[in-house]
Parts: sequence; structure tokens; C-alpha cells
Amino acid sequence: MARRRGLSETALARVFVSPSIILMALVAAFPVIYAFVLSLQAYTRRIGEGWAGIDNYVEALSDERFWTSLQFTFIFTITSVAAEFVIGLGFALLMNQAFRGRGVTRAAILVPWVIPTVIAAQMWFFMFNVTPGFINSVFGLGNFNWLGQSGWATFAVIFADVWKTAPFVALLLLAGLQTIPGDVYESARVDGAKMFQRFWHITMPLLKPAILVALLFRTVEALRVYDLPQVMTGGAFDTESLSILVQQYIVLTPDPGYGSALSTITFILILGIGMIFVTLLGRDLVIGGEEER
Amino acid sequence: MSGLNNRARWVAVVGALSLGAVAACTPSGDEGGDGGGGELTWAIGGAEAQPGGIHQRIAEMWSEQNPDNPISIEVLPEAADQQREQQALELQAEGSGFDVLGMDVIWTGEYSENGWVESLEDVRDEIESVSLPGPFESAVWGGELWAAPYNSNAGFLFYRTDLVDQPPTTWEEMCQMATQIGQQEDIGGFVGQGARYEGFVVNWLEYYWSGGGELFNEDQSEVTFDTDTATQATEFMADANQSGCFAPGFNTAQEEEARNEFQSGNAVFMRNWPYAYDLIKDDQASPIREQFDIAPLPTFTGEGTISALGGFNNAVSAFSDNKEMAKEFVVWASTDEEVQTMMATEASLPPTRESVYQDLADDPVMSLLGEVLPDAKPRPPAPQWNAISVEMQRALFPAYNGEANIQDSVQTVDEFLQSTVE
Repeated sequence: MARRRGLSETALARVFVSPSIILMALVAAFPVIYAFVLSLQAYTRRIGEGWAGIDNYVEALSDERFWTSLQFTFIFTITSVAAEFVIGLGFALLMNQAFRGRGVTRAAILVPWVIPTVIAAQMWFFMFNVTPGFINSVFGLGNFNWLGQSGWATFAVIFADVWKTAPFVALLLLAGLQTIPGDVYESARVDGAKMFQRFWHITMPLLKPAILVALLFRTVEALRVYDLPQVMTGGAFDTESLSILVQQYIVLTPDPGYGSALSTITFILILGIGMIFVTLLGRDLVIGGEEER
Repeated sequence: MSGLNNRARWVAVVGALSLGAVAACTPSGDEGGDGGGGELTWAIGGAEAQPGGIHQRIAEMWSEQNPDNPISIEVLPEAADQQREQQALELQAEGSGFDVLGMDVIWTGEYSENGWVESLEDVRDEIESVSLPGPFESAVWGGELWAAPYNSNAGFLFYRTDLVDQPPTTWEEMCQMATQIGQQEDIGGFVGQGARYEGFVVNWLEYYWSGGGELFNEDQSEVTFDTDTATQATEFMADANQSGCFAPGFNTAQEEEARNEFQSGNAVFMRNWPYAYDLIKDDQASPIREQFDIAPLPTFTGEGTISALGGFNNAVSAFSDNKEMAKEFVVWASTDEEVQTMMATEASLPPTRESVYQDLADDPVMSLLGEVLPDAKPRPPAPQWNAISVEMQRALFPAYNGEANIQDSVQTVDEFLQSTVE
């Protein structure tokens, strides 16, 4: 009887939550929807010329330039995230050990992550570039033109990104490592498990949620990389990322319609890949709980 | 493109944004202009727009002479693209926040076709009679004058007086000397702006123009792109890149990378803007500060010189509430002898008033500018210039780096240019 007068608990919860949902929707969804609307319009530079339907999308998908930058973006994402994961995991395992000077090591490892990306990019530009050529003089490579040829330019950008964000992965994985209780390792040791077996059968499975979160963050970020290639190479030698392309069309050329179509495609791509991670993560959290025998 | 290092500017801009300075750069709208009061607002960017800069001093001078219509500067960001973005935000909303617009020489077409600026046809004679022809041409679009030239810029050939007796007059000669002397001294040959950005297009155009090429006809209604000359210019760059004429790292260098190389004695020749002259002369640590000089850029024929033109023009916003006074200001800034001379003597900013160069013939930079500027060519101030520039970078940069076929790349540029006039 009392129920009829008031709202149910679920309904009440919805009422309380709705202001924040609406606020988030305004902040997050509005730009996305607005970009989508823009992407359906034709522009001559800044002057709108009415609806274009899916013309901008057709044009984008048939532009060789889009595919070249998509290719770079994928190569960049896969190699940089893979390298960051391996190095980050190494760092995390190291930082998780109790040893003398652990505090200093932790702080030192995190330094690159604290430096703003643009500054890091400019710094690595100076390191790799022929002038002043720090890397070349340290390794005695003469005038090797890292940033001025295909392949090596991509390598340099990826290298700078790994340097910059491996500590971030390490931090996330370290947090995961510290949730693994020590007695699990102890009983494994009593059972005679070798170090590698302990790592493979205890650390890895229990770290899986943290790994997925780290990979999700890094992959999504790497897919929208802009500052590193922009500052280091300006997109030359096949290092033009999707975001550089979007910026060029929205700000520089400018063709807001076409640029928005490119940015919507980028958004869908990132959203799709993000969803895969979230699904994996969700399932893992549920199944992971059951599997613990 | 006002010259200096875009990468460094970009870093500065992002840094400024992250400090929250974005609010300071956003047009405030409620200042000046509104209500037809006397105040004018001048939207201009760059180092000289900062307090103490020459633009500020010129604004103060105007305000003293016109106490009823003082002008204040709305300081725009450092990088030209960002300035254009700030102005576009205000103008697209038809806001009256800006009365006078400081416009890069390549924006004239875009601004006039968008209906953002007032025609200056009625004061054309007054401006044309005292201005250099190149800067004046950059303010004209569709046969009509849209802005008043304000300051200019042109490229020089910097060379080492201890290694080179007589500056070269052809590009081939320059390359020969660069390769030979570079090898002897174990230093780089020629440095310039070879990275993939607007500066590369400027450098390429200087080769192309100096071989007799043009992009458009007089009134920009027809493409007159010469594929043979374009191929020649691109092949020259590709060869120079291979032969050691271009110093190592040429294809990643912007203005500042080039200047650093030359300034530390690592190159025989450099193509750069006049700003580098004082910086090298004043650098006590530079081994070559007493051993370099400037000359006009070479050509392919050995006759004359051609340089790409930089600089800024001032226009009257179409949405200003005080167009009459704004127009008076832009004409004054463009033609007043005192203003134009002050720019040269106190900020080393090349003026557009022709007579200033005769008056300052003793200054090495100004006297060479006086020689070079009459033949300097503006990049076409077409509305599509940014798109054209991006397309040229895309096609010609890989071509000179041996990563694409030169003929095909030149063809691509030709086709794109054609598509802009149809």
C-alpha cells in the first residue's frame, strides 16, 4: 500500500541519477552528435551549402590519404601498445619487489609520464633530428636521418611514445599486482612451483583485469594520437595519423563537413575497439570470479 | 606564414592553452566596437603584438593622435593558423568585436569571398602610390583591394664570406659551390626550409618562380601551371638532396633548424628570412658572426632574383561598428612614413612603404630588402590557398625525397590547381 504512494526504489534511483546522466550526456554526447550532423553537410571552406547526405563519407572512404593514415594509426597503435605493455609489465614487476632504493626507482620510472606530451615530442625531435643530433653523436651514427626517411620516422615516433607511456602502463599494472595476496605465492612455492610457473599461473591470470584496463586505455589513446607525429615529423614520411588528418580538414583547409566525417569515422573506430575491450573486461570480471576455485 | 619556426610556435601555443590562456585569446566581444563608440579593436598576433612590441607602439601612437578614437590590440596567438581560427570564430558569428584585422598575406581571397572584410577601393590610389607592388598585390583579390599592406618579408641567401668569394647567381652554381666547399670543410652545403610544412611550399615556389613558372594568370581565373618548370624545380631539389648540396637533415628543417646549423658554422649557404641576420650577428658564441653576408636568392637563369613574400596586411572588418575610423587607421598604418620607418628601425620588421628603403639604404638588411622586395612574389591569395598548399606538400615532398615519381607528382598538383578554378 505504501508503495503506491511513492516511487519504487529503482525509479527513485533513476530520478536521483538522472541529473548527472543528463549533464554527462550534454558534455559527452553533444559534440559527437553535432559532429555527425556537420558531417552530413556540404561546405565550401567555412560557408555551409546544405545537406550532402553521405557524400563526405563516400569521399573519405575512397580517399587514398585516409587509408594511408589509417594504416599508420594502426601500425602505431599495435606496436606502441605491445611494446609499452611488455616494458610496463617489466617495470611493474620490478617496482613490486621489495629492495633497497625502490622508492627512487619508482619515481625515476615515472618521470617520462609526468612530462607533457608536446614537450616530450619536441625533446625527441631534437634527439632524433640530424641537428643537433644527440642520438647520432651518442651512437656515432654520423648524419643518420631518423626523421627524414620512411620507416625510421615511424620508428622514432613509436619510440618516443613508448618512452612516454610505458610508465603509465607500469603504474596501472603495479596497482593490479599489489592486489594479489602474497599467501597465494607462498602456497605455490610450497607446492614446488618454479618462478616462471608462478608468474604464468598466478600473476598473469590474477592480473588480467588490470592488463585489460591498461590495454584499453593505451589503445584508445594511441588510436587518436596527434601531438607526437605532429611535432616530430609534421606527418611526413607516412606518419600522418587520423587525428592529424581531421585537424587539417577542420581547422586548416577548412572543410568542416569532410573533417567531421573523418572524425566521426575515427570515433566509430575507437568506440568499436573500446567496446571489444569493455566486453572482454566485463566477461572477465564475471568469469574470473567463478574460476577462482 | 609569417616566417618563424612553426614547430616552436606550436609548442608555445599548446603550452599557453594548457595554462588556461585560451580565455585571454578569445575575442571578448564586449570591448571596443560596440555601440559605435569611439574605440577601435585591432586583432593581430605574433611577438610584436605583445606589450612593448611594435604593433602596440603603433597603436599607442594612433591613440595619442586620435584621442576620440583610440585603438587597442586584441592579442591573437603566435601561429598564423591559430590567428586565423580566432578571427574566423568572431567573423563567422558576424561579431563586431574586431574592427581591424591583421591578415597574413595569403588570407585575402578567403576573407573577401566570405564577406568578412570591407573593400578599400575608394582609398586604393592613396595606398598603391606609396606601397611596394608585391605586398600590394597580396591585398588584391578579384581585382579589388581588400586590405592595406602593413609589413612584408622576403627570403635571402646567407653565405659564408670566409668560404665564398662571390655569392652565386644560379641555383646550379650555388649547388656546385655548396657540394664542393661542404666536402672540403666537412660541413653541410645548403640549409633551408625542407620539412613538410608551409615553408617547404615557399621554398619550392622560389625555385619554380625563378625558372619562370607561374601558378595562376593575373586575375587568378586560369591556371598557368608549367609542368616542365615544375618538374625542373622538383628534380633540382631531388638531385640536390642526393648529391650532398642540401645539408643532411634538410628535409626535416624549418626556419630555426636551418638558422641553428648556419649559425654554428655547419653550413655554407642558407635560405632564410631577414630575422636571422640580427640573431646571428648578436650571437657572441657563433663562430661565423663576422664571416657571413646576405645576397639575393639565385635563380635558374642567373638573372634577377625572386623571393616568396611574407608579411601582414590590415583589413577593415565588415561587421565593425566604426568602419570609417577603422579604414582611416589601416590607411594610416600603411602609408604614414613615421609608422613605416619605425617598424624597420625599431623592430627590424620590413615595411611595405617603398620610400623607407631608400631612406634606410645604410642598413644592410633594409638595403637588400629594398633590392629584393620589388621582385618578390606573393603566394596566390586564393581562398583555397591552404588546400592548395597541403596538396602541394603531399605531392612534391615525397617526390623530392625520392619516394614518388616526380612527373606524376607534378601532374597531381596541376590537376588540383585546375580543380580550384572550375
